[in-house]
Amino acid sequence: MTTVTADPAPSTPPGRSARPSRLRRSWDKHWYAWAMVLPVVIVLAVLIFYPLFRGIWLSFTSLTEANQAAEICTRSITGGEVCADNPNKWEFVGLDNYVRVLTGEVGDFWQWTGTTLIWTFVCVAFHFGLGLGLATMINRPMRFRSLYRVLLILPWAVPAFVSAFAWKFIFNERFGLANALLTAVGIDPVSWFSDRWTALLTAIVTNIWLGVPFMMVALLGGMQTIPGELYEAAEIDGASAWQRFKNITLPGLRPVSMTVVLLGTIWTFNMFPIIFLVTEGQPAGQSEILVTGAYRAAFEGIRNYSLASTYGVLILSILLVFSVFYRRALRKQGEVW
Amino acid sequence: MTEKTATPPTVTAVAGPALAKTRAVRRTGRSRRSPAMSVLLHGTLILASLIAIGPIAWVLLSSLKPGYAIQSSELTLFRDTTLANYSYVLTETNFPRWFLNSVIVAAFTMSIGIFLSATTGYAVSRFNFPGRRPLMMVFLVTQMFPVAILIVPIYTIMARLGLINTMPALIIAYLTIAVPFCAWMLKGYFDSIPTSLDEAAALDGCGPFATFWRVVLPLARPAVAVTAFYTFLTAWGEVAYASAFIQTDNKFTLAYGLQQFVPQFNPQWEYLTAAAVLVTIPAGLVFFFAQKHLVSGLTAGGTKG
Amino acid sequence: MRRTAKGIAVLASATLALSVAACGGEDKAANEQPTVDPASLTAELTWWDTSDPKNEGPAFQELIAKFNQTYPNVKINYQSVPFGEAQNKFKTAAQAKSGAPDILRAEVAWVPEFASLGYLYALDGSELLADEADFLETPLASNKYDGKTYGVPQVTDSLALMYNKELLSQAGISEAPKTWAELKTASQAIKEKTDAEGVYVNPAGYFLLPFMYGEGGDLVDTANKKIVINSEQNAAGLAIAKDLIDSGAAVKPSANDSYGTMMTLFKEKKVAMIINGPWEVNNVQQAPDFGGLENLGVAPVPAGSAKAGGPVGGHNYVIWSGMPQEKVDAAVAFVKFMSSAESQAFLSEKLGLLPTRTSAYQLDAVKNNATVAAFQPVVEAGVGRPWIPEAGQFFGPLDQMATEVLIQNKDPKAALDTVADKYKAEVVPAYEK
Repeated sequence: MTTVTADPAPSTPPGRSARPSRLRRSWDKHWYAWAMVLPVVIVLAVLIFYPLFRGIWLSFTSLTEANQAAEICTRSITGGEVCADNPNKWEFVGLDNYVRVLTGEVGDFWQWTGTTLIWTFVCVAFHFGLGLGLATMINRPMRFRSLYRVLLILPWAVPAFVSAFAWKFIFNERFGLANALLTAVGIDPVSWFSDRWTALLTAIVTNIWLGVPFMMVALLGGMQTIPGELYEAAEIDGASAWQRFKNITLPGLRPVSMTVVLLGTIWTFNMFPIIFLVTEGQPAGQSEILVTGAYRAAFEGIRNYSLASTYGVLILSILLVFSVFYRRALRKQGEVW
Repeated sequence: MTEKTATPPTVTAVAGPALAKTRAVRRTGRSRRSPAMSVLLHGTLILASLIAIGPIAWVLLSSLKPGYAIQSSELTLFRDTTLANYSYVLTETNFPRWFLNSVIVAAFTMSIGIFLSATTGYAVSRFNFPGRRPLMMVFLVTQMFPVAILIVPIYTIMARLGLINTMPALIIAYLTIAVPFCAWMLKGYFDSIPTSLDEAAALDGCGPFATFWRVVLPLARPAVAVTAFYTFLTAWGEVAYASAFIQTDNKFTLAYGLQQFVPQFNPQWEYLTAAAVLVTIPAGLVFFFAQKHLVSGLTAGGTKG
Repeated sequence: MRRTAKGIAVLASATLALSVAACGGEDKAANEQPTVDPASLTAELTWWDTSDPKNEGPAFQELIAKFNQTYPNVKINYQSVPFGEAQNKFKTAAQAKSGAPDILRAEVAWVPEFASLGYLYALDGSELLADEADFLETPLASNKYDGKTYGVPQVTDSLALMYNKELLSQAGISEAPKTWAELKTASQAIKEKTDAEGVYVNPAGYFLLPFMYGEGGDLVDTANKKIVINSEQNAAGLAIAKDLIDSGAAVKPSANDSYGTMMTLFKEKKVAMIINGPWEVNNVQQAPDFGGLENLGVAPVPAGSAKAGGPVGGHNYVIWSGMPQEKVDAAVAFVKFMSSAESQAFLSEKLGLLPTRTSAYQLDAVKNNATVAAFQPVVEAGVGRPWIPEAGQFFGPLDQMATEVLIQNKDPKAALDTVADKYKAEVVPAYEK
């Protein structure tokens, strides 16, 4: 913290005459910038981009686990190895995979996409809404603030798959707390997983519970960048709490909320474990979202890499389109990125 | 009262007057809140806290029951209460080792992740270098491809690098999840720190790196705290990569080790829940101590000066 | 200095080697194996065990210790891997040619799949299959692919009717129902005369197979390469299951976690009969309210109009083809030991697992085991599944169908037609529909 004390005051007079030339200066800047981003770029290029580009290529082939090798060799325990040409070696198939997926010949692309959109929209809306509300509340001075903060953050600290199991128990149709409470107030117990929408509801509730703490913390952090003087000035001007929230807090949170909404959407769209563990796609695969549906379609039994990649590319495309529109919408309100 | 102790004392030295002002406002803020508002505020927060800890309480209560009492047609808070589950987890399994592994993986992911994303975020925030915008988009794209599809090719790469069944494999994989988000997040915060500070530091003879390290980063403490939480918990709770890359019991991380308790046909909920409680406590403690940094309130005072 | 130290180290290790060799010589004298000296085998093998780590794992580790009494220099790295993830984990590692275990406990349906991908050693001509005839035919069949044998059966199982003796006698039923019609009557009697429900039908593909087999149906006809899942027989079998639920004889099942619900109800004596396998015997026995093994009845699954039969399950030992050739002898010795009649008898005695060797059933430890005795007729009535590489993909669509028919009241034939379409499009395109 001593560094803060050592801060040069902003009032330090500017004006050193011996500035380096413009060209040289920009070179220096770029050199540093590149040095700073290089490690990340290398790691991402090797671990994500190579598989990603390979995935795009695979989506135009028929490659599966069974036909990826040109020849299949069988080693005998008594020594020796017999190799035979793979009769169904993979090949380039053009857009076949996309046609099969989009026409519904394989899987239920459109139903899964619909479910995914509902799932993503509802989850992110509640994450952001509740996260913002709670962050605003516990950002105020009050008694027990630290206690509230820790309690509200706790759901984030439990490994997600344990929480998923906990919620699955709560929604258990026979032994669960949810139905016990309903029965206690005189409502018939609900067969949560017999209907597409109630099944999806259980997963959404679970995911909202899981995701709000993250949003809250991120927004709470964001509120710290808003200068307190703005609030003071507003208060002196007689602005109401709502006006202060609307005119100071929300605009001040823009960079942070833009990031968390954008990434929150992408993550929720691809959120695998909750659907997979809580609803297991029940009833009869109707609560499946794109990632879980694709996983079951492509990775059960002999793994179909080309099919999985096709889904991956479709998911990527949907999210890219979303990002572009999102960015455009934000740009209308002022440049952000 | 707590929020006062939460303010680090060193800050007062810098931003004394500003802080005093804020405090004054806060005090009036509290006294001005009507009793009805107070009840509403606390009522909402208590309700929210109850919902937040409800399922966790279920986990906690279950961890104190024998296995057969966890899923049962009688809903009970306590039944045949026992600590045997905890002693089993702590003594009969490799839990302590998994714990250590998780701490190592999470600590490395956190420190390397923050370092990488802070430098990247700063570079993107401050320097208009060629490739700046594409880079941010690229970060997004890395999050768009489903992990389930990436696992097999990443395994192959890790195998070629000889990293299978090692902790670096996990740390690297977790960095690919954590860094893009953290870089975005930190970039956002850095944007809100006036560039006048950097310029002043540069004039004082600080290079770009020193400016970043000694001037900007300390000011972004709340943001660093957020990203620290995020990277730590990503590494702490992740299962998919761990289950692909880790093969021997003595290298398991906690979250993956916990999965050993729930095989398909004979799930041992009693051990899973006990272990989950043991996993949550340290994470909760980290929160408890780190949350102070979330609300430093010094950026405002410090920069305005 | 350094050099001398090094010299001493070399010398020391040389003496060590000498003394080890000497020890090995003594062991050889003690053991009566003419061809290979067990102590001369030196290797380090990794074994992925997918059994229940808590109930079953320790017994397997005891067996390893026994193995090491004969083979002191073969080190077995035992690693428990959750059953649910072992299949993909093994394939990912085998494909990358790095990190797969030397030996794996593979579920019966995995073996043809792994073999077709070239991930397994063919065991023909080795000692492991020297007494091939001793293995029960149906479990052994799951190891065959394309004319070669890729694994050795470890344990077999099949679905049975498990029932609560006390509840049945309270309802005045003296012996286990033998047909689905008897099951229905018995269920209704139990519901009437006791506090419990009659039967729980788990709405999952695997657990509905006894209904389909009962009417003479199957999933696919591998000999004629034909998809037969949407046969009239299967539809009739499903109708029986559905009638059990609709008539109230069976509990209305949940779509999710129905397996856990079924077991909880059974263990709490809230349902009198279930269809399940020997792997649950231990858990039922340990349930505090159930009344132990004395109260647990096991009978073959009830018969339909054609026959009575449950699907054959179980696990095999397989050896990864990426294992270096020099470790082969040790691996063969290990698998041979683990699958020997004595080892199987040991596991029967400890865990109630069903042996896969005819000779094992002659041993006292097996003969006197009540669980094994109860399950033996069950296994004899077991129906082999289609052992083809694609077999793993059959159950996804089947599970969906089960929910549709038993919970969402979809017409059985229509639901089965959808499954047939999926098999044709996604699982076995080469088959005729």
